[in-house]
Amino acid sequence: MTGTRIDRRLLLILYILALILLREWLIPVIELTNSDHLTLFLLFVALSFLLALIKAKWWIVVPTKILFILSATHYVFFDKILFTQETLVHLSGNLLTNAPIIMNGDWERITNPFRTVLFFALLWMTTYLIRHWIEVRKSILLFYIMTILFIAFIDTFGGYAAGGAIFRIMVTGLLLLGLLAITRLAEKHNTSIPTGTFLAISVPLLFAVVVSGALANFLPKQDPIWPDPLPYFESIVQGHGEGGGGAKSGYDTNDATLGGSFVQDSTLVIEAKVASEQYWKIETKNTYTSKGWEQVSVDDVQTSYTPGMKMGEIAGQGNVEDTAQLLADLKVSEKFPFIVYPYGMNKVYATKDVVFQHLEEAGKYSTEIGGKEEVLDSYQVEFTEPDYSLKKLRATRMEDFSEVAEDLTQYLQLPEQLPERVKELAKNITENQESVYEKTKEIERYFGRNGFVYSQQGVAIPKAGDDYVDQFLFDTKKGYCDNFSTSMVVMLRSIDIPARWVKGFAPGEFVLNDEGEKVYQITNNEAHSWVEAYMPGVGWMPYEPTIGFNSLTDIEYDIELNLDDTLTPEVKKPEQPKKKQDKKTVKTDKDFKSSEIFKSVGTWIRNNLWLVGAIGFIVIFAGWRLFVGRVKWLPKVLVYTHRTKQEDWVTFTKRYTSLLKQLDRSGLKRATGMTLSDYATSVDKYFGGERMKMLTTAYEKGLYGGNITDHEWFELKEIWEGLINRTSG
Amino acid sequence: MTHKEMIEKVLTNIEKVMIGKRNIAELSVTALLARGHVLLEDVPGVGKTMMVKALAKSIGADFKRIQFTPDLLPSDVLGVSIYNPREMEFEFRPGPIMGNIILADEINRTSPKTQSSLLEGMEESTVTIDGETMRIPQPFFVMATQNPIEYEGTYPLPEAQLDRFLFKLKMGYPTKLEEIEVLDRAEKAVPIDTLETVVSLEELIELQKAVTEVKVDNTIKSYIVECASQTRDNPYVYLGVSPRGSLALMKACQAYAMIKGRTYVTPDDVQYLSPFVFGHRMILRPEAKYEGVSTSEIIERILMKVRVPVDKVQLK
Repeated sequence: MTGTRIDRRLLLILYILALILLREWLIPVIELTNSDHLTLFLLFVALSFLLALIKAKWWIVVPTKILFILSATHYVFFDKILFTQETLVHLSGNLLTNAPIIMNGDWERITNPFRTVLFFALLWMTTYLIRHWIEVRKSILLFYIMTILFIAFIDTFGGYAAGGAIFRIMVTGLLLLGLLAITRLAEKHNTSIPTGTFLAISVPLLFAVVVSGALANFLPKQDPIWPDPLPYFESIVQGHGEGGGGAKSGYDTNDATLGGSFVQDSTLVIEAKVASEQYWKIETKNTYTSKGWEQVSVDDVQTSYTPGMKMGEIAGQGNVEDTAQLLADLKVSEKFPFIVYPYGMNKVYATKDVVFQHLEEAGKYSTEIGGKEEVLDSYQVEFTEPDYSLKKLRATRMEDFSEVAEDLTQYLQLPEQLPERVKELAKNITENQESVYEKTKEIERYFGRNGFVYSQQGVAIPKAGDDYVDQFLFDTKKGYCDNFSTSMVVMLRSIDIPARWVKGFAPGEFVLNDEGEKVYQITNNEAHSWVEAYMPGVGWMPYEPTIGFNSLTDIEYDIELNLDDTLTPEVKKPEQPKKKQDKKTVKTDKDFKSSEIFKSVGTWIRNNLWLVGAIGFIVIFAGWRLFVGRVKWLPKVLVYTHRTKQEDWVTFTKRYTSLLKQLDRSGLKRATGMTLSDYATSVDKYFGGERMKMLTTAYEKGLYGGNITDHEWFELKEIWEGLINRTSG
Repeated sequence: MTHKEMIEKVLTNIEKVMIGKRNIAELSVTALLARGHVLLEDVPGVGKTMMVKALAKSIGADFKRIQFTPDLLPSDVLGVSIYNPREMEFEFRPGPIMGNIILADEINRTSPKTQSSLLEGMEESTVTIDGETMRIPQPFFVMATQNPIEYEGTYPLPEAQLDRFLFKLKMGYPTKLEEIEVLDRAEKAVPIDTLETVVSLEELIELQKAVTEVKVDNTIKSYIVECASQTRDNPYVYLGVSPRGSLALMKACQAYAMIKGRTYVTPDDVQYLSPFVFGHRMILRPEAKYEGVSTSEIIERILMKVRVPVDKVQLK
């Protein structure tokens, strides 16, 4: 190690800070690789620094470290600190088996103990590198920047939350940088600072770092203005995924993180030949996590059906009043290993000999052949449109839930940290209603009456600590089906009405086929989510809280004769205008599909004007910097572009002219009245040598003497390259 | 032997006797090669005569010297026809002008009549005596001197006649070291006597021809013209450089380029020579004199202003 030596006590402080920085690397690595024993690795780093601190000789350092690595590995895999003969043989045998594996490049088969040893070796090298940075270079900026980038990267793209880590890194890293800067300063002036003075000098540094760090930590911070990139990229890679909160609309099984914008995707998924609009259900989810939905089923009842078999009492079918059998012909172009089905399904017919595995709680019918997932691209569903009696619904009371035989507790699940105001809101909305049905209806209608906006753009993703529903209900009031349906389920549950979240497709738009039958075309844009709530005595009943969508159920107004007229319109009226409005919006969507992309791009730009402006500014600024600083990089480009040209007078002239310009940019100005040879003299004086003189003589010979053939082109080229490369330095 | 080597020999030869006056020697040779003449304006005793003598000796030329006095007659310069009673006819006795290299000392001391007789010969390379025109032998090179310190009883050369000289030069004093060197060399012998002829007259004529072959690119020509025209537009200048001045500059540049071993003229030649060529061809306004602006300063400013041609941009 060269350079002035750093005081031992100071070095100790520096190593401790470096250890903290390195710890920030180890934590996520160990967390993400599901390894353990962070302490062991940290101990190893500490040992390395300690040995460096006491200036141990290499023949002490190397055996000590190897011993440590071996015993640590031993401890990790045998849970014993002391070697026994048996374990020693086992371990060494295990490690030795890796030699041929490495030779063959068969990385997959490397054994775990060996991986651990390798990781220790990597740490060994890293500590050595850090020691080099601290003791010799006295500059840790590179490592510091790399640490920040690494943490920022895995926070953004990995599952690691680096909230605290980034703060720790900032503080320790800045301290480390500052202390090293002071040592560098001392070195520059060839003085050594006494430790006491050093500490005194460090006080302002410590003060500045701690104060700015504390300020940064406690001051309110602007939320990120763009959606979490991880689900965004994931959805781009996967090509679909509304649930992922990402780029495109469509069905996706992952709903763990809801929110975020998505763009339209009008890829056709299903063509359904059916007489009337149907909601196409895929599955339900029961567990709300504050961020999204998960299906938690301990032992879901699984029933197998074969094509043509009666599906039995399917949940949601409830009390079927009408027995008119309807038929839906479905053609599915997406590779779904399950069926999408309308409410009131009785039987499914398929050409293939598949088995429908019905998970009762999830409400999902997976298609299988011989226990393996099978994609069914066309099938027929026989179903009965459920019809509900308003009279019965009006008679539902909260007390009736106690008489329900079914265990509905999982449908009342709510996260513990759900803000109280959600519950209060639900209570306030529904307290004037007596029946479960009316209460549910109130919540369903709430969104349409309270200024909520339907939008697929600029939809927030809740931060850690925020609740998806709470954010939507009280802060943003802007969102799409997931926001509305999830909020409704949560509100229902908070007032003890069992509810679940349903996923599937909206009815789509119909076209008439050659036979004059309606064929509904369902695209990824129709991917949808809605609500099922349990009505005591009736069963599961679908609800549609999302603004701009049709109501799902056919209510038989059997109560009309018995009750006064004012009630009926109340039920009916909200439906009617809605229906019309929906049709309209859906229609315009369809008409302007081609301009939809431009529109959505335009909207995106309008919504993110700030971001676009910032990016634009950065681009312009970077371009300007690049242009102004072209004296630095242009020579390389020029050398490169002129490399392959034919060697003649024209090329030489171009080269010489570009050289003149480059010299001018680099600060060697030629006055208008200055001759080239005078200029060459001053240039050569500046750079040394006689290169410019030689080039100028050749140029003058051609320009003034008309001699454009008698030159040593290759020699001139090399001189030119040499000189123009000097100009950028 | 290349042209440059020949010229270099002459210059080295002159340097044997002229110490620290390489530039004057170069310019003199330039004028000689360009078939021009030189007006030296300087105090006596700085080596004007020595310079011309050395040059004449180096090229084996016939050297003549005319000391101008107020009573000198044209015939004293050109020559005179004398009646030869034996032959019963007039016989021409050539004057000192009929030599190759002539030193016209203190040319401003003589009457304009006598001055013009010399100047005619310089311009035309012929003299007319008694109605008979005679050619002056080639090469023909006049170096006239003018004493700037005495004005009484002098006849300053009119501007139009100054135009006949290619260069007007100032010799200047040698530095102290150079002067010591001068003393050193002259301590034992007269250096000029030991000089040998290094280039023959025929070779010199060949060189003079070769000078006309030196390439003057169009860009250079336009540069010269631009410089000359700038002297005419300058507010301090009453009379600018005539086209003859431009021509003179171009010829001088050709010769100078050859001295430098080039076959083409560069803007450097133009810049170097233009003060010597243009300096005596301009008449300044009184304002310039009040403000203390000299011709050389004006030329310097013009050279700084005019764009040096560095590429083949289409000329306007």
